[in-house]
Amino acid sequence: MEPKRPPAAGDILQGTLDMLILRTLVIGPAHGHTIAEVIERTSENSLDVEQGSLYPALHRLEDRGMLSSEWGISENNRKAKFYRLTAKGRKELAAATSRWRQMTRAIGLILGEPIK
Amino acid sequence: MNLRRFVQREKKDADLAEEIESHLAHEQDANAARGLSSEEAHRQAHLKFGNPRATRERIWRYRSVPWLEAAWRDLRFALRSLAKTPGFTAIAILVIAVGIGVNIAVFSVVNTVLLKPLTYPDPQSLVELMNTGPQGSFPGANVPKFNIWHQQTNIFQQVAGYDWGGAGLNLTGNDNPQQVQGIHVTADYFAMFGAPVIAGRTFTAAEDSPNGGHVVVLSYGLWKTRFGSNSNIVGRTIQIDGQPYLVVGVIGRGFVTEPAGDLWLPYQFDLASRDLAHYFRVTARLKPGITLQQANAQLRLAGDQFRRTYSSDALAPQDGFGIASLQESIIGDTRSSLLVLLGAVFFVLLIACANVANLLLARASARKRELATRAALGAGRGQIIRQLLIESLTLSLTGGFLGLVLGFVGVRLLLNISPGDIPRLGENGSAVTLDLNILLFTVGVSVLTGILFGLVPAISASRPNLAATLNESSSRSSIGFRGGKLRSFLVVSEMALALILVIGAALLIRTFLKLQAVDPGFDTHNVLTMAMSISGDRFQKTAGVAQVIRDGTERLKAVPGVTNAAAACCLPLQGGFGVPFDIVGRPKGNDSSTGGGGYYSVSWSYFDTFKIPLLRGRTFNEHDDGASPGVIIINEAMAKQYWPKADPLKDRLRTGVNMGPVFVEPPRQIIGIVGDTHDGGLNRDPRPTMYFPVSQMPDAETALNSRVAPLWWVVRSNVDPHTLVAPLSAALRETSGGLPVAHIRTMDEILVRTTSRQRFNMLLLTIFGGSGLLMAAIGVYGLMAYSVQRRTQELGVRMALGAQASSIRNMVLRQGMALALIGVVIGIGGAIWLTRFLASFLFGVKAWDPTAFVVTPLLLSAVALVAIWIPARRATRVDPMTALRLE
Repeated sequence: MEPKRPPAAGDILQGTLDMLILRTLVIGPAHGHTIAEVIERTSENSLDVEQGSLYPALHRLEDRGMLSSEWGISENNRKAKFYRLTAKGRKELAAATSRWRQMTRAIGLILGEPIK
Repeated sequence: MNLRRFVQREKKDADLAEEIESHLAHEQDANAARGLSSEEAHRQAHLKFGNPRATRERIWRYRSVPWLEAAWRDLRFALRSLAKTPGFTAIAILVIAVGIGVNIAVFSVVNTVLLKPLTYPDPQSLVELMNTGPQGSFPGANVPKFNIWHQQTNIFQQVAGYDWGGAGLNLTGNDNPQQVQGIHVTADYFAMFGAPVIAGRTFTAAEDSPNGGHVVVLSYGLWKTRFGSNSNIVGRTIQIDGQPYLVVGVIGRGFVTEPAGDLWLPYQFDLASRDLAHYFRVTARLKPGITLQQANAQLRLAGDQFRRTYSSDALAPQDGFGIASLQESIIGDTRSSLLVLLGAVFFVLLIACANVANLLLARASARKRELATRAALGAGRGQIIRQLLIESLTLSLTGGFLGLVLGFVGVRLLLNISPGDIPRLGENGSAVTLDLNILLFTVGVSVLTGILFGLVPAISASRPNLAATLNESSSRSSIGFRGGKLRSFLVVSEMALALILVIGAALLIRTFLKLQAVDPGFDTHNVLTMAMSISGDRFQKTAGVAQVIRDGTERLKAVPGVTNAAAACCLPLQGGFGVPFDIVGRPKGNDSSTGGGGYYSVSWSYFDTFKIPLLRGRTFNEHDDGASPGVIIINEAMAKQYWPKADPLKDRLRTGVNMGPVFVEPPRQIIGIVGDTHDGGLNRDPRPTMYFPVSQMPDAETALNSRVAPLWWVVRSNVDPHTLVAPLSAALRETSGGLPVAHIRTMDEILVRTTSRQRFNMLLLTIFGGSGLLMAAIGVYGLMAYSVQRRTQELGVRMALGAQASSIRNMVLRQGMALALIGVVIGIGGAIWLTRFLASFLFGVKAWDPTAFVVTPLLLSAVALVAIWIPARRATRVDPMTALRLE
């Protein structure tokens, strides 16, 4: 089992990618290519990563039980592996989102931005 | 789970590859939709994705467990490399399997006898009551002692007396009377041992008192075989020695007693008895929290209490009471003999390890280039050591599990030749089973040996001189200085260990031969012995016993082929009872007037039947009965010890002094001196012994004898006595009114049994010594053969320069024998130190017996010489031209 621990600061980017994946799947099941495109689009291409680096994150999330996967037929009529958010994943997304909000608020305070 | 991820990773990787393909295809579709050419769409998709292999590797690494991965890789490599040298692998595994197998065989006996706790609940708190004294402590009890021990309620929860089932009982009441072992027990016995009652109940306190009635508790075995597991047996009566006994209960299958019994009867002690003869044993359960020390302290005080209650003569001032753990007491002196065997097999294992280590060293030097290449490619020392250790562990574990199989075959063989007096083994060794202890032992020994023989070669191989090794041509690589020294050291150790084993074996062989040469003091050939249990009411008086003996003797003599017959309480070589005596007319209380000796009550024809020589005076005749003056015959040892100058035939003996009212009788006249027999076994000197005419015993003494021992019938024939068993037992059954006989053995068989322990130890140590010697010989042969092969060129050069074949041969012989002799010298030193542990098993030889210490090293050197001769001769056949062309 993976040790359960709160994510350290160094994991932030890793955690961000995980959160983005989870967030993407809230709408419904999707395969890897769709997830990559959605993240690219919604982040306005600011997260410029190779699409390949998406897959280790997907597999790790699946191993932790946040995602489930099954093979299916895509909109292009191709075979593709679809990922679906599990109950555990939903809970983790909520927790990660609130952690993220706290963090950005803290960073905002340090950088002297006005409190909303 | 890491492990699940780990084992699924190949499947997952294939899945991932397909997933990536799918991803690229989708991206390509999207690119094509933007109007790119299919080639460009493909290129852009790959560009955007990055390296698919890198992705797959990242996920693969994440799924793997590094050390497990490495171990798995090493294991597969080890299997491959072992499979490449099947000859080496087979020999190594076989040597280990034999080494571990003998250890498992002996360990499984040690485990059963010494290690497994007794099968009773909370066995640590069970203790045996002992009589202590200057000569050591021994079990045994009488009613007065039982009373005093029973009163120690602040240290004991329960105290129970029980006998050895020695006399036997006869189950009568149908056409097939059967002699069974009936154990007499006091009421607390079952509760104390936690015996599982599967039907009915055990004895009440009222039933365990005089006039408590005839009641019996059956064992599971008897209930099943004799009564067909009849569930209504409780409440029925069965016939024992012609009397009806009410069955009150049946004990469950798992209840093991030592020795085994078929049924239990209440002892029904008369607690007012003042008899002091020991005829049962007492076990107690300590109260929780009471230590052995506390209990022993309390029992020292109980000794004084005993003297106050009974008489100060009843317990000598230096004697007292104590306890010993019941398990220790049951194991007895078996422990030391098993530990010696365990030590011996451990030596065999060490020799096996040294042998395999030597093989591995040879293998490692043949693989020097391979290992150097691996090191040059960046393998660390740790990795190379790990690789080689995994190889040796693969060998040792395979050998270990093969050894487990061998061990289980071996232990059956071992039990077949075992003397039969090793406690706790169950019927035919059924108690020796595969259990967790043995599995752990196997795994433990395998891993340990794997490391033991693998580590040294691994470490020495992991220090390659890279440049030198890689530049060397493979055929030229010489045996490295370090490796050569190490191998010589191993061979020397093997020789030393083998020598110690063989010297031990030689000492035991000499012991056995000396025992065989001992004259038992009578003619053992063509004598048949049979035990008849005479526990019935008819045999409580001397006249009844004498009548049966008189009639029986006549009937037996009438059987064709029988030349003489007799009856007695006990047989020579088997030992019997002891009794104290005073010589009448000498000042009391010193060594010349008072002593103790063996006690035999015998019929008048006993000495003629056994052909025990009469040295002086006369033997008994039919007129030595209750109506005539008391007579007694003593043996030569007694005459020599107590009448070194005087004439024993002029003296009278008062026997059974201080043994209570049962033994009170007028003094007996010594009427004869007979030759000595060895009663405590052939390895003991004959002890002073007194023979009483069985027809002249006081009734109370006869009753006691009938209760504690069977009557032994002895028949001498002029044909093979085995052929007479049927007519003889029929004759005895008729004259005794239907009593069966059991324990039918010839005196020759009893003679063999008395030396069976020595035979057992000798056989095993000889087998172990022989296998050790064989392995050591293989070891020295292997080393010399190897060194000759490695030195082919050197030898070729020598011969080309004119060396004679004989001088080449002698050089190899000299080098080999130097190692062997160093081993022999060290071995002699080790043996001098170690054989002291054998001292108590020896008879007629000293632990430093010169014969063993001279002959054995010579034998070992001779074997080594043969083993070295072969490679030495090969060395002389080196063809100088061929050898030099190898250059």
